Amino acid sequence: MNRRRVVVTGIGMISPLGTSAPECWSALMAGRSAVAAVPPEWCRYAETASTIWAPLPPIDWPALGIGRIEQMQLDTSGMLTIAASSEAIRDAGIGTASADAKKNTFRLEGPPPDRCGVFMGTGVGGITPFVGNLANHVMSPLIGDVSDPSILPPMPPRFNPYAVPSMMPNAVSALLGIRWSLYGPNLTFAQACAAGTVAVGHAFRAIAAGSVDMALCGGAEYLRDPYGGIFRGFDIARTLAAEGSDPQRANRPFDRDRTGFLFAEGGAAVLVCEEAEAARRRGARAYAEIVGYAETFDGYSIMSMEPSGTRINDMVAAAVQDAGCVPGDIDYVNAHGTGTAVNDEIESSVIERLFGATPLVTATKSLTGHCIGASGGIEAAVTALSLAHQATHACHNLEHPIRDLRFVREAGPCRIETAVTQSFAFGGHNAAVVMKRIS
Amino acid sequence: MQDEGIRERVENTIVDVLKVDSTDLGGDQRIREDLGADSLDSVTLVMALEDEFGGSINDNDAKSLATVGDVIAYISRRVEEKALA
Repeated sequence: MNRRRVVVTGIGMISPLGTSAPECWSALMAGRSAVAAVPPEWCRYAETASTIWAPLPPIDWPALGIGRIEQMQLDTSGMLTIAASSEAIRDAGIGTASADAKKNTFRLEGPPPDRCGVFMGTGVGGITPFVGNLANHVMSPLIGDVSDPSILPPMPPRFNPYAVPSMMPNAVSALLGIRWSLYGPNLTFAQACAAGTVAVGHAFRAIAAGSVDMALCGGAEYLRDPYGGIFRGFDIARTLAAEGSDPQRANRPFDRDRTGFLFAEGGAAVLVCEEAEAARRRGARAYAEIVGYAETFDGYSIMSMEPSGTRINDMVAAAVQDAGCVPGDIDYVNAHGTGTAVNDEIESSVIERLFGATPLVTATKSLTGHCIGASGGIEAAVTALSLAHQATHACHNLEHPIRDLRFVREAGPCRIETAVTQSFAFGGHNAAVVMKRIS
Repeated sequence: MQDEGIRERVENTIVDVLKVDSTDLGGDQRIREDLGADSLDSVTLVMALEDEFGGSINDNDAKSLATVGDVIAYISRRVEEKALA
């Protein structure tokens, strides 16, 4: 059966670099990263090796269509997802009409809703309300028992009646299906740092195979809990960037002096993907065509990448083949590029083995920090934007590359016909999406 | 005597949660039967009132609030007791 063609027609993004895709793209191209000291109150609970993170900018939720009642009901990962999807749908030029004013839901003017799917990735779902509700659950009975309740850590004022729906990881997908009245497959992928890439890949496959005509896909994550416990989880595993003498230069993927990744507060990216012919018929502008996808599993360790990189190599090679390409066709790699010692070593080795020093190589996380389950969605969006604008951001803070690859040292225009965006995850999940320039 | 400010804040909260027209609100209106609140809406309304006025509203009190007027009277009394703000 002939595979249908799939194009990206809309992009929405919120990251530490901005609250819209254009804001994020401008910051990437200007080399503006987001690095700050972790919230001081976290120091009360533990002394962490890393003391920096990438916070989100202030977000005006009502301006993004999320009122105060929804803010009480939803986890921030869900709100980020809804906001990014609104931008993506608007960006795709798809009209909306109110479906239920009370529920704040809408219908899309376009393909039948049962032909539209949702494919979202997240690492941990609504972990922050879970932490808050658990704190309230445990500490509320103590308030009458301690002589000075102010010694208790701060906690939310109530055990939220929406504790369960705000916690469940599938909320990020369900919320989009509800918001936009989409009745096709509605799936959540939880492959940690690769979740967003896996989600985009499966949306591509579903449209290409004909099971849906349009999909919202990408990733979402929110990791700021009141006590810094989630941050500590990554810190204690020694995965995070050390502050060093200059915090602004601490996050440096593929550099000799890298020390780990920059923990991001959160983010979300949603892509509108459509069957190419249907998109053309409605006169949609396309950023890029998705042409290939593959995934493999290390089967090695729950936390460490398999040292030889064999399964990653196989996965990227399979994605390139799935796209009908050969490695020599690839001229841009949006690397996983976390900045951890082992990750960058293995990844750069695979890139060298498969592609040599031909393609441009960059790491979006060098500017955004690591948005975990959102990162694959963000990087797919950045890859599509790079193809559309024929420009790339730099691999920020790279001074002493660990391998002789064609790392992007300065942002600017470039020729990109075929691009790979790849992600690897705790657990051992490897995934890559291949995109082409719209000709 | 009820504070007009409290009445307005309660009514705004009800409008926010139930998406009803503020001009339709009257003290005798029943929250479930007349304004169409389901059980989830009722829980949300209590949460929104706690958020608006601070403090907490226990389940027994919440169950006794059948009409818009009940809610205004209850909140006014709690504010007077300085249990809510």
